[in-house]
Amino acid sequence: MPGELLRVESVTKRFDQVEALSNLSVELSPGTVGLVGPNGSGKTTLLRLLMGLIPPSSGRLSVLGLDPHREPLRVRERVGYMPEHDCLMPDLSAVGFVTFMGRLSGLSKEVAIGRAHDVLEFVGLKEERYRKIREYSVGMRQRVKLAQAIVHDPPLCFLDEPTSGLDPAGREEMLRLIRILAKLGGHSFVLSTHLLPDTEGLVDQVLLLNAGRSLAAGSVAELLSQRSTETVVRVKGDPDSFAAALTAKGVAVRVDGSDLRVDLPEANTRPLFEAAQATHTQVRYLGPSVRTVEDLFLSLMGDGRRGSGP
Amino acid sequence: MSISAPRYVQGSVPRVGRPSRVLAIVEREFRRRATWGPIFAVALTWFIVVLEVVVTVYFATVIGGSVSAAFESPYGSVIWVLLLLIVTATVGAGSLADDIGSRAITLYLSRPLRISDYLGAKASAVGAWLVIAGVGPGCVAAAVTAALGYVSVSEALAAAAGCVAVGLVLAIFFTGIALALSSLTRKSLYAGVAIFGTVLSVTVSVGVVWGITGNGTLLYADLLADVQSIAEAAFGQPSPYPTDPVASAIVLVLTGCVLALLAWWRLSRIEVVGE
Repeated sequence: MPGELLRVESVTKRFDQVEALSNLSVELSPGTVGLVGPNGSGKTTLLRLLMGLIPPSSGRLSVLGLDPHREPLRVRERVGYMPEHDCLMPDLSAVGFVTFMGRLSGLSKEVAIGRAHDVLEFVGLKEERYRKIREYSVGMRQRVKLAQAIVHDPPLCFLDEPTSGLDPAGREEMLRLIRILAKLGGHSFVLSTHLLPDTEGLVDQVLLLNAGRSLAAGSVAELLSQRSTETVVRVKGDPDSFAAALTAKGVAVRVDGSDLRVDLPEANTRPLFEAAQATHTQVRYLGPSVRTVEDLFLSLMGDGRRGSGP
Repeated sequence: MSISAPRYVQGSVPRVGRPSRVLAIVEREFRRRATWGPIFAVALTWFIVVLEVVVTVYFATVIGGSVSAAFESPYGSVIWVLLLLIVTATVGAGSLADDIGSRAITLYLSRPLRISDYLGAKASAVGAWLVIAGVGPGCVAAAVTAALGYVSVSEALAAAAGCVAVGLVLAIFFTGIALALSSLTRKSLYAGVAIFGTVLSVTVSVGVVWGITGNGTLLYADLLADVQSIAEAAFGQPSPYPTDPVASAIVLVLTGCVLALLAWWRLSRIEVVGE
């Protein structure tokens, strides 16, 4: 998928005295993007900015090559949005609701009806599509929300906490549907979540936010490889003397709780075992410190805390 | 449950414009309100207005009274205003409150629609119900009296024009008040009570103050006085009030528009994405 998906240039958004986003800059290409951060990190504000629902205090944004502040309706014609909270119309059947949403997105009535049936079949609600939404379970409602987001076949879809409130089986099913859609091609997804495991194996790019600032952004593979020189070591014995022995060999070590985080040049583990032999300690665990997006996020959060510490 | 790939093809379908999207909301909102309450209120309004006009016009022709006054009779009464107030409360109270309460407004405003599109569509749906209740029976009654030979076609057309004038002014005012009060709450019941409470309390208190002070200007804030004044003028009858019917109409229309603006302001403060 060539082209540019999202571009955020030095965007700051203030609400009175609160700075929800601080000088955020990021460029993401088409694909599946994880917008990850804890509650209050600025994910929702960024989504609102990207959909042209609020203007930035400063900076510029681009969604699919369009400025959402200047052309909000053109942007919203091209995006689908799956809200986190329950916002369905309980008096309608699923097919009636999704048809209506298709019409609001600019489909003619006839086309919207056809697509509503297609997407409801896709999300697994073929048999239940004529039932009133008020009779649906939480999992079924989430599927309807996904269906309404894709009914007009947008090139970009914002999914806000798509697994919210789902049991493990429902969560897996929802992630599977998103995975299938992503693999179909022609569609990009921005998955906003604070549940880091949801992004594993699903997103190919990530934007990690914390307190309105970007911790990291870009390809997941590249970000993980950048951080993977650090190795986590757990030893039985005196970790301080082990760390001191490693430091004496010129290896950078820092103590992180019960773990030692060791920066091994060229993945050479020989100094580790020499230090263990010298200090009569046993190496009980040895592994890369960053293997998943969750590890990456926690690692970056840790760096941030250390950087801002006394 | 079976999972299969959707059959749709990206970008293959031409999109329709904003007017069609707005029309979809009007259609949905109009149908949504077609429940027993509003249908009963509208049917009752039709029954009372048509019956009263036909009977009064018949006796006017037999006895030799004023046909215009006969056509005007339901519009000068409290009952007609009260019936329209019931239609407003049953149809309009939930127009915005239901969407705010269920947070379905998120789905509307995250689509390629402006707040004004959404509000305009809701106003059109509520207004359509009010026009059916407020304008429809008068026009039908005029047609019936002409068909029965009680009045000439020109007299019936003049009467219908009067019905349209009075009904439209009141429909605009009631639509504005319904939208404004519906936008302030998440529960349609509260909005319905507020519609009744606001209209009745303002009307009663203005009437009392006018009775005490005798200040005629106050009557522009009295809905009943305004409606009667406009109705008398529309049907060529002398008004019992010292108010100008044109000014009364302007007051009602402007109030309706200002209240609709209040609803727009309130909607613009709602966070579409987020908790």
